[in-house]
Amino acid sequence: MSGKSLLLKVILLGDGGVGKSSLMNRYVTNKFDSQAFHTIGVEFLNRDLEVDGRFVTLQIWDTAGQERFKSLRTPFYRGADCCLLTFSVDDRQSFENLGNWQKEFIYYADVKDPDHFPFVVLGNKVDKEDRQVTTEEAQAWCMENGNYPYLETSAKDDTNVTVAFEEAVRQVLAVEEQLEHCMLGHTIDLNSGSKASSSCC
Amino acid sequence: MASVPAEAETRQRLLRTVKKEVKQIMEEAVTRKFVHEDSSHIISFCAAVEACVLHGLRRRAAGFLRSNKIAALFMKVGKGFPPAEELSRKVQELEQLIESARNQIQGLQENVRKLPKLPNLSPLAIKHLWIRTALFGRVLDKIVHYLVENSSKYYEKEALLMDPVDGPILASLLVGPCALEYTKMKTADHFWTDPSADELVQRHRIHSSHLRQDSPTKRPALCIQKRHSSGSMDDRPSISARDYVESLHQDSRATLLYGKNNVLVQPRDDMEAVPGYLSLHQTADVMTLKWTPNQLMNGSVGDLDYEKSVYWDYAVTIRLEEIVYLHCHQQVDSGGTVVLVSQDGIQRPPFRFPKGGHLLQFLSCLENGLLPHGQLDPPLWSQRGKGKVFPKLRKRSPQGSSESTSSDKEDDEATDYVFRIIYPGTQSEFVPQDLMDVSMNNLPPLWQPSPRKSSCSSCSQSGSADGGSTNGCNHERAPLKLLCDNMKYQILSRAFYGWLAYCRHLSTVRTHLSALVNHMIVSPDLPCDAGQGLTASIWEKYIQDSTTYPEQELLRLIYYGGVQPEIRRAVWPFLLGHYQFGMTEMERKEVDEQIHACYAQTMSEWLGCEAIVRQRERESHAAALAKCSSGASLDSHLHRMLHRDSTISNESSQSCSSGRQNLRLQSDSSSSTQVFESVDEVEQTEAEGRSEEKHPKIPNGNPANGTCSPDSGHPSSHNFSSGLSEHSEPSLSTEDSVLDAQRSLPAVFRPGDSSVEDGQSSEATTSRDEAPREELAVQDSLESDLLANESLEEFMSIPGSLDVALPEKDGAVMDGWPGEADKPSRADSEDNLSEEPEMESLFPALASLAVTSSANNEASPVSSSGVTYSPELLDLYTVNLHRIEKDVQRCDRSYWYFTAANLEKLRNIMCSYIWQHIEIGYVQGMCDLLAPLLVILDDEALAFSCFTELMKRMNQNFPHGGAMDTHFANMRSLIQILDSELFELMHQNGDYTHFYFCYRWFLLDFKRELVYDDVFSVWETIWAAKHVSSAHYVLFIALALVEVYRDIILENNMDFTDIIKFFNEMAERHNAKQILQLARDLVHKVQILIENK
Repeated sequence: MSGKSLLLKVILLGDGGVGKSSLMNRYVTNKFDSQAFHTIGVEFLNRDLEVDGRFVTLQIWDTAGQERFKSLRTPFYRGADCCLLTFSVDDRQSFENLGNWQKEFIYYADVKDPDHFPFVVLGNKVDKEDRQVTTEEAQAWCMENGNYPYLETSAKDDTNVTVAFEEAVRQVLAVEEQLEHCMLGHTIDLNSGSKASSSCC
Repeated sequence: MASVPAEAETRQRLLRTVKKEVKQIMEEAVTRKFVHEDSSHIISFCAAVEACVLHGLRRRAAGFLRSNKIAALFMKVGKGFPPAEELSRKVQELEQLIESARNQIQGLQENVRKLPKLPNLSPLAIKHLWIRTALFGRVLDKIVHYLVENSSKYYEKEALLMDPVDGPILASLLVGPCALEYTKMKTADHFWTDPSADELVQRHRIHSSHLRQDSPTKRPALCIQKRHSSGSMDDRPSISARDYVESLHQDSRATLLYGKNNVLVQPRDDMEAVPGYLSLHQTADVMTLKWTPNQLMNGSVGDLDYEKSVYWDYAVTIRLEEIVYLHCHQQVDSGGTVVLVSQDGIQRPPFRFPKGGHLLQFLSCLENGLLPHGQLDPPLWSQRGKGKVFPKLRKRSPQGSSESTSSDKEDDEATDYVFRIIYPGTQSEFVPQDLMDVSMNNLPPLWQPSPRKSSCSSCSQSGSADGGSTNGCNHERAPLKLLCDNMKYQILSRAFYGWLAYCRHLSTVRTHLSALVNHMIVSPDLPCDAGQGLTASIWEKYIQDSTTYPEQELLRLIYYGGVQPEIRRAVWPFLLGHYQFGMTEMERKEVDEQIHACYAQTMSEWLGCEAIVRQRERESHAAALAKCSSGASLDSHLHRMLHRDSTISNESSQSCSSGRQNLRLQSDSSSSTQVFESVDEVEQTEAEGRSEEKHPKIPNGNPANGTCSPDSGHPSSHNFSSGLSEHSEPSLSTEDSVLDAQRSLPAVFRPGDSSVEDGQSSEATTSRDEAPREELAVQDSLESDLLANESLEEFMSIPGSLDVALPEKDGAVMDGWPGEADKPSRADSEDNLSEEPEMESLFPALASLAVTSSANNEASPVSSSGVTYSPELLDLYTVNLHRIEKDVQRCDRSYWYFTAANLEKLRNIMCSYIWQHIEIGYVQGMCDLLAPLLVILDDEALAFSCFTELMKRMNQNFPHGGAMDTHFANMRSLIQILDSELFELMHQNGDYTHFYFCYRWFLLDFKRELVYDDVFSVWETIWAAKHVSSAHYVLFIALALVEVYRDIILENNMDFTDIIKFFNEMAERHNAKQILQLARDLVHKVQILIENK
């Protein structure tokens, strides 16, 4: 299984306190800590999964949300396969900053074709009572900005978390397939190199 | 009963299966170093063994009623054989565990993984539980051996174990698998793709425990000393025997290209040829040929003599890049011999391969390994059906001798070849070429002549001329004096260059590192052993009489032994600079009073601000809800707030811009003092007006303003360019004073404020507030502009231009400025206290916001005192409040201290600090730094003061400070110099210049890397270290952290991301004592290096 699996780098972006780390931890370790500390620097976790018959290792990068840490955060955007733009439905400002995050990512990730880069938008904390952002607004934003998939999640209640990450993988795979259509037959066999070496007599 | 031959065949079949399985397991072990417990090989191995053991088992021994015959048998054996008894016990425990967990085992893999006692077993594994457990417990071979010895008790006569030959064979077959290490941490796939930090550490422990207890601490030292002593770079005496043998296997770093045992080498002239294991390894850029005597390969790890064995001297390691020629000799009656000749002409001892085409196979592996950059010349030929064969046309040596040219015979015929290793297209090719030519011309340069000539010619000539008679060329025997002389010369020159390199190296060390440590070495033992640290009794003595211990001695005690936990609360304020060492009790009291007053005042200031913010929020929230329901725009509440606020100030402004002209006159003459005066006045009046503050006068004011100064200091630096500090300082206080003033005397002060600024800056930019007040319309449009782009820069410039249009001023304001008495002293203190220049210059634009605070009598909805704050300040502070709130709520909640009440304290302190440093603003991580201080000091004002002191250093590490890059650069130098091996790995794995994995370490002084108790001791060591050993002690702690795990990092060839992940996972699991000790040792080492010029 490891031989076949594809490593995908996913970046979680969004304002501080919207629950990026919680989403990651919920997804990878299935735990939720309502009082988890804010992230300093960057962290990442891996998880293997199978989406539509393909084995994938997700390398999920969690970043510090405060804009001041930009210089620390942005070097890690490079080489990302997907970006999860995250906001909290009970924090209007975090929603309004989505555009900035998107721009920052596109700029620093050095995305060749920003129009087709797989973004997924997550509205987290849907378990909260006092919403400041409606589903319709969020969907409208996603439509306007590149027709991104929008998912409402709750790391606390484990709502849609797995779905969200799987959606991210699907987005990447979809983009990849398009690329493959463009340049036919140009696939990379990650498997071939690993076995050929040992010899014995 | 079957016939005898059929039984024999069954036995053979059973034994063959076991052999096959053993071979597979051993191969897996060889290629992977470890065998995973869930490996499919283990399962089939267990099945095979079980079949053998059950073969011909007596029914009585199997137990008539037992479904699990193995269990019955092993339990019976257990009655007479202690290892089996032990096994029975273990397995029965396991079975119980499995039984109880069976229901939950699915779906809870996570938990299963967490509990090592609860095995995550597949049904197949459970089926062979006994054999499995015996295997992992390394008793399977012993039990089977016992069974063989006592087979008559348990087996029928046709049983495999009864067979006098097959039985013992089976038992000995099992010895190998029982000697392996099995791992069960993760699934087999994870094991190779993604081991956790835990797993890595554990793995490291497993295979390093026998041999090196404290090697990490010693490694860096070796790196320097090694060169010193040996002069050769790749000479590694420290490598352990075990490591060496493991390095012969394929691992994640090196690919095993070829391996053959029983290759003969004659290590010394007076010795017989010794059989050994020849292996060819390829790493990213180097191919290495190793030959290891069998004695070492088979040696057991526990054997103490093992490492000292003479055979270590015989082991051969050759880097193939050094090799230019391969001389191959094949004889009819023996397998074949290879002699390697290196660039410098030295011949390596011949390798004699066993019969059967092994030489050819070796060459073909070698040729494959050389690709794509290198190749054999002449190349091997490919022949259909046979694979690679020796080339036939250019067979044999350049000397063109008799024997080989004519006949094209098969491999087993005597044939000699000289292959050259060439790297087409690279420079290195030419070096050997030259040498070769030289030697051929018989005009060798002095330092490298005859070994080449003699070896080369003798080898090829003997090979060609004597044909089958030579078996290898033992050139070492050639008693050539010249050869010896040359060797001597070479050794001497190498030693010299080694020494020279070492000297240069040391000089680099000095230049790089001398700035990082104090040059005075403070001993841990003089005048007394400091290992106990600063104890309560010593401290008590010191407090009673501060002359009993000099400050330096106390710091030395702390540096080497820490502070006794009970007295931390008393000692920390000294360490942090809140008190100075040597202060009397009275003086300390005074400091405390000042701080308390300052803190109280700051609190009241920002609380007022917060009240307004809350009010605005309530309103905007209501509005947002309304808007949200109507589904209209996306306006942010901040947006709206800003808007609202500015209009408030606009409305209020009209009345207050009076008296401007008059003031301007005054301020023109001495703008700065003017400001200060007004400030003081304000504070005094304010203080008097306030009931809760009893001594708000100058003594309090000083610290307050001192710390305040950076915030407000920046408007003018923006306007005038930051060089003009004189201008900026006055305005610092303006802001504070104005804010305060407005509480008590809002109406009076507004104009004063504005005019002062006006006078002070010819561009009149700072007085932007006044202008809008009078021209509402303009202001409004401006506001909207500002809102649109939210650019502070524009904030500054646009209103500035408006200011020109300021209307009339009446002199009324002057009444509001009472005495000027305190002015000068105030200014002085400002000057003295204004520190942190770097910080101040960072956010001039932001800071400038704070300058203008507009009073508003009737409009301000909240401030009962009648105070208003500039809209920009309000906005800025609002943002910061939100951030603080978010982080305080999640600050170390798992630690007992942080109850709701104490979190409130934390928030108060943070808000106060940010209020005073609004131009920096709250940055994530500050809470981390404050939390441990509060835990120890447990007093808001004290913690506030200490935190302010701490932040003077720590601010540099935050994104606005720019010291992080310096830290990274220093780390780089330190690692490069103290651990070049690790540095090479980091370098080779790419993006290492960044050292991002240390970011959090430096930002928070390791606060997140350690548990609280350790944070305390690490922090006080850092503070003391500044005066005792190094102001950059954090660097050495970081280095110690890297060094503690350097073997793991190296072994796993970790790249940049792996290291980040590793250290993230290792957070709060480090051994702080060990790390501090190592860090002190590292400082000491650097000090010694610098001292020994």
